[in-house]
Amino acid sequence: MKNTDIQISICGSAGDGTIAAGDILKRALAKGGFKVIAFDVYPPEIRGFGKCISRVRVTTEQVYSLKHHSDVLVSLDDSHAIPHVGEVRDSGAVIYEDTPISGVLEGSHISAHISPGQIPYGLPVREISEKETSGNRSRNIVALGYLAGLIGMEPEIFHETIADKFRGKAIKITDMNVAAFDKGYALGQKTFKLDDVTVGKAKKSRNKDATITMMNGNAAVVQGCMDAHIKTFFGYPITPATTIMEKLATEMPKVGGRLLQTEDEISAIAATIGAGYAGSRCATATSGPGLALMAEMLGLGVVAELPSVIFVSQRGGPSTGLPTKTEQSDLNLAVYGRGGDGQIIVLAPTNVEGCYKCAGKAFEMAEQYQTPVIVLLDLYLSNRFETVELPKQSPFTKTSNKAAKKKDLEGGYKRYAFTKDLASPRALPGQENGMHTITGLEHNELGRPSDQPRMHEDMSAKRHNKLLAALSHHDITIEKRFGDEGDVDVGILGWGSNFGECLEAMFKAREEGIRCSAMKVVMLSPLPLGPINDFMDASGEVFVPELNYEGQFANLIQGATARSVHSYTRVPGSPMRVEDMLVEIRRLAKIKKAKKIGKTKKAKKKAA
Amino acid sequence: MGNISTKPVYLEDKLAEIKSDGKLEYRSKALPTWCPGCGYFSISEGVTSALNNLAIKPKDTVVVSGIGCSSRFPFFVNTYGFHTLHGRTLPVATGVKTANDDLTVIAVGGDGDGFAIGGGHLSHVARRNVNITYILFDNGIYGLTKGQTSPTSSLGFTTSTTPYENHDRPLNPLMMMLSFGSSWVGQGYAGDPGHLGEMIEQAIAHRGFSYLHILSPCVTFDKTDKTYGNLNMQVKPIPDDHDSSDLMAAIAMAQNVHKPPLGLYYKEDRPTLADGLDEITQQSGGGKNVVTAKAAE
Amino acid sequence: MVQPKHHVIIGSGITGTQAAITLRERDPKSRITIITMSTLLFYNRYDLPDVFRGRTDWQSFLVYPPSFYEELNIKLRRGSRVVNVDSTRKEITLGHKETIRYDTLLVSSGGRGYLPEELVDFRSLMHNFATFEAAMNVKKILPENGKVIMLGGDMLGLDLARNLIQCGYTVTVITGEHTFWPHTVEGNERKTFMKALESMKVETFDGDKAEGIASIEEGKKGKPARKIIFKDDTVLEGDVVMPFFGLAPAVEFMIGSDADIERGLLVNPELRTTNEHIFAAGDVCQIWDKKDKSYKFFYGWKNVRAMGEVAAKNMTGDNTAFVTTQDEKLRLDKKGQINSPFWEYD
Ligand SMILES: Cc1ncc(C[n+]2csc(CCOP(=O)(O)OP(=O)(O)O)c2C)c(N)n1
Ligand code: SF4
Ligand SMILES: [Mg+2]
Repeated sequence: MKNTDIQISICGSAGDGTIAAGDILKRALAKGGFKVIAFDVYPPEIRGFGKCISRVRVTTEQVYSLKHHSDVLVSLDDSHAIPHVGEVRDSGAVIYEDTPISGVLEGSHISAHISPGQIPYGLPVREISEKETSGNRSRNIVALGYLAGLIGMEPEIFHETIADKFRGKAIKITDMNVAAFDKGYALGQKTFKLDDVTVGKAKKSRNKDATITMMNGNAAVVQGCMDAHIKTFFGYPITPATTIMEKLATEMPKVGGRLLQTEDEISAIAATIGAGYAGSRCATATSGPGLALMAEMLGLGVVAELPSVIFVSQRGGPSTGLPTKTEQSDLNLAVYGRGGDGQIIVLAPTNVEGCYKCAGKAFEMAEQYQTPVIVLLDLYLSNRFETVELPKQSPFTKTSNKAAKKKDLEGGYKRYAFTKDLASPRALPGQENGMHTITGLEHNELGRPSDQPRMHEDMSAKRHNKLLAALSHHDITIEKRFGDEGDVDVGILGWGSNFGECLEAMFKAREEGIRCSAMKVVMLSPLPLGPINDFMDASGEVFVPELNYEGQFANLIQGATARSVHSYTRVPGSPMRVEDMLVEIRRLAKIKKAKKIGKTKKAKKKAA
Repeated sequence: MGNISTKPVYLEDKLAEIKSDGKLEYRSKALPTWCPGCGYFSISEGVTSALNNLAIKPKDTVVVSGIGCSSRFPFFVNTYGFHTLHGRTLPVATGVKTANDDLTVIAVGGDGDGFAIGGGHLSHVARRNVNITYILFDNGIYGLTKGQTSPTSSLGFTTSTTPYENHDRPLNPLMMMLSFGSSWVGQGYAGDPGHLGEMIEQAIAHRGFSYLHILSPCVTFDKTDKTYGNLNMQVKPIPDDHDSSDLMAAIAMAQNVHKPPLGLYYKEDRPTLADGLDEITQQSGGGKNVVTAKAAE
Repeated sequence: MVQPKHHVIIGSGITGTQAAITLRERDPKSRITIITMSTLLFYNRYDLPDVFRGRTDWQSFLVYPPSFYEELNIKLRRGSRVVNVDSTRKEITLGHKETIRYDTLLVSSGGRGYLPEELVDFRSLMHNFATFEAAMNVKKILPENGKVIMLGGDMLGLDLARNLIQCGYTVTVITGEHTFWPHTVEGNERKTFMKALESMKVETFDGDKAEGIASIEEGKKGKPARKIIFKDDTVLEGDVVMPFFGLAPAVEFMIGSDADIERGLLVNPELRTTNEHIFAAGDVCQIWDKKDKSYKFFYGWKNVRAMGEVAAKNMTGDNTAFVTTQDEKLRLDKKGQINSPFWEYD
């Protein structure tokens, strides 16, 4: 059986149930055992008629990014969908409303824009919806049913998913929507199919210790927090991080956790650090503008050596920037953005499962290394849905605090004692004989203010070096190499949400015969310099693609390794095009070849 | 109250006194680094005696401060202490208290710390009724940075940044805190340590957010305005017939900036932030000490 | 600046497509739009019997690849039904309520299979062969070596019949007045051709003799899927029943325009209708014959393609009359088998 790999785009306005239709689609397919990656694009304004697109890629085998071309486009609103018709590949399908309520001038109907290579399917969506639900509210469901029938998906999983979706509402609503779906489905099945988009059989997973679910990056962060037994959360709403707080607000109280919406991000991080000081597993979540406000407090977290976890989901910047578009331009702020020598741990997961892992591990690290830990996501990862396998047993510790023991407290407790692992035993408020005052001032081992040059040097070294242990923190991927082993023509060094595209590009390059591998760097601070240098040694040319203008990751790597890389930056506000990356990889592979030939020529000359 | 001391409190005198009572337990080994005669000495005195009287153990107390002369305070008490950032006293204190209800959390800071850079937090900590005590040391000046104008500096006051005199109208902290919904508001004076101690004790004992405003001279950088001499002449006790449950009466009394009344302005019992959070826990069907369950996706 | 002219063509068959090509040659800057109900690009209907030889990929039937339309800058509006033509406003309305303005309009919507009145009630029990989809449908339901009952037996049907027989199916033609349409063969000539049919292994059944069809019904379980009951109670069984009664022009949507209609759209030899901006070509039009003083249909791909070209010329300022070059004679080949010029295609 041919492996399934199709991508469906549903486009409409906010009131059309576009995102809801995409949601049912991806959940149903995940239920059916497929691997799903999905990403929705919303309008910046909340209500009304702004454009929404839901893109869902369905595959038998795990893939790593969305495709540039979709196989099917479903239009629920032509004015929004028309610019996206070009996304559909040749012989792909465009499904649209053929019974609109009002007339339009030439060119305002989507059928005017379907290219000769694409297959048009017009259907009476509104008429069917009105018949089944006495209103046009179910147009999205009718269209979904049609799509499912057309490309041969099983209707039962959709029935279940629709029932889930409308759970809690009147039974009648579920029934009406199921009926609307079935009408669309029957029509889709009956339609004479000219496109070549089909769904095959899904593979079932066999891992007994894991649950397969579908969630987006933010939901995975929440799950990671919950599995790590988060106790307190303080946050201030900001796209695209808000849904982390919203979900936690529902989940944390159920297990006795506390969540507070603060007056601003300064307050959020201050309270988080306060709670961390008091021994609580704590976190906050924000985006670039909020992280900028948090900078001073994070410095306090560094110097006072207190645990805190900050989930940062990047969006287009600087300033308010592009609030609903994705970008990877807060790397500098996350890695460097504090006064003084403010090194902290920065983790950048590359996929949804990574969000879960990094979220849970961030708490362990924050406590064990007594430091703020930033988990750096972006809008694309926060909102991207993927099928993930989550362990049934929490893989995270309940606490990793290094508690002060009795002997530590005897004879004058040294909060910042120089110990072997550099993380000093910590007395928590409420602990007998542990009273001490901590400060943002440079201090001695006791925590008393000290501006002695030696002390500042020793303490700076302590704060810096203790973090290096995080590079071998147990059970988390710090960096990982994929693709060809040994020496390669082109090595792709990637990070964050963009790494999925890096992998896809790498696989495509290999298909073209280019020796290629890709390394993801999950821990951006401290950097795993050993493996990065090894990777660069093995790579003829090092290609560093990222979604920011300045090449922030490339600069980080170049600065840290003193070696040059090929920086490739784009800021489209959307995921990077794999095709564009491939062009660059091909070019680099040629450079590498030319160098090789040059070398052998030289060698020959020498030999002669 | 009554006999208002006209003399500043001097360190040497104090040292002799504290050796004899139980308050020593609350005293840090580090001696205050304030200028001799600074009003802050009587505040630290008041806090230690209040904790002593209330029998709150040092290990269960956290003093959170911002940045400023006043914010050096935690170093001089033998409790848990957190000297944070300029202006961030209240949110850090909120975090500490939210993480552990059993702690007595006292936030301290100066007028610049609280009403300038940290002004955004005041209203929120008040309306949420976080069960902490906020002691504001108002010297009408930036002490630590050596004498610039502050949000409570008087009109016409000259400082290093207002060499031609201050034209910015001062805030009315008491009125602000009353209108923000503080459930306990009082005023004390560093020149009347006895009364101040009582006020601190009451403030800490209050269940909810208590705001204690303390008029405290900066003997080094203010030689003309909020001096002991001037303040001694101005302060007066709150009239006996003031009804401390009457918010409007309290706000009216707060208008009297030139003859500042000392004592309890307002007190109200209402649910605290923690009460609300516990209520949410109940509403969610969860409870404390529940082992973390899987979050529904 | 002068706005480029918008030439709109209704129908994407050979006539419409030829017209578009000629229009593009003669008026390079113009806008050209072809409107069709089909979801496919222009394909070769003459090849459709090939589906029984396993040629089932629709792409293989396309006369031009998708890029052809892009290269010639011809806008192709598939899946679009014209519901009205307003000749005063020079505007057409599509089924999905989109209005399109034209400067010149060519109606080349062709003909659709004609069905005699008495058979209309049984439409759902019959299969046509007009489109690729219909052809695939017949292929799908026709069992191996199955039997096709062909009603009428026009030349399109007979072409299919000879192909089906080559592929191992059996075909029975219920003959009548439409047999051999659009050829007119009468008397002895007809007898010769009937015989020739039999020599081609096409079974024939004289429907008129059996007093015509009384009803078409579904066959019983285990029996062929259809049975035809004649008025004289004769019953014929078959797996599919396909009507082939010639073509009728598809012109309903023109009723609101001021172009005259008799059976087809009436045009002068220059293919202009009674409205100066509307032309018609192909199976849809009846052309004035000066000699006979009557309107005539002209069939066959050579004719309809020529009409497309003539119409396009006249839409762009020419004044050429259409002259048929099509051989219209039904004949027998060396082997004694029927051959029709209407079956030829290049
Ligand atoms: C973000 C920041 N800005 C400025 C300062 C400098 N600074 C330290 S204390 C202070 C003002 C202190 O005045 P106040 O809060 O009234 O305290 P006081 O010294 O009078 O007790 C300033 C401006 C700082 N530490 N941090
Ligand atoms: S500068 Fe003023 S406020 Fe600061 S310690 Fe000295 S007297 Fe007190
Ligand atoms: Mg001050």
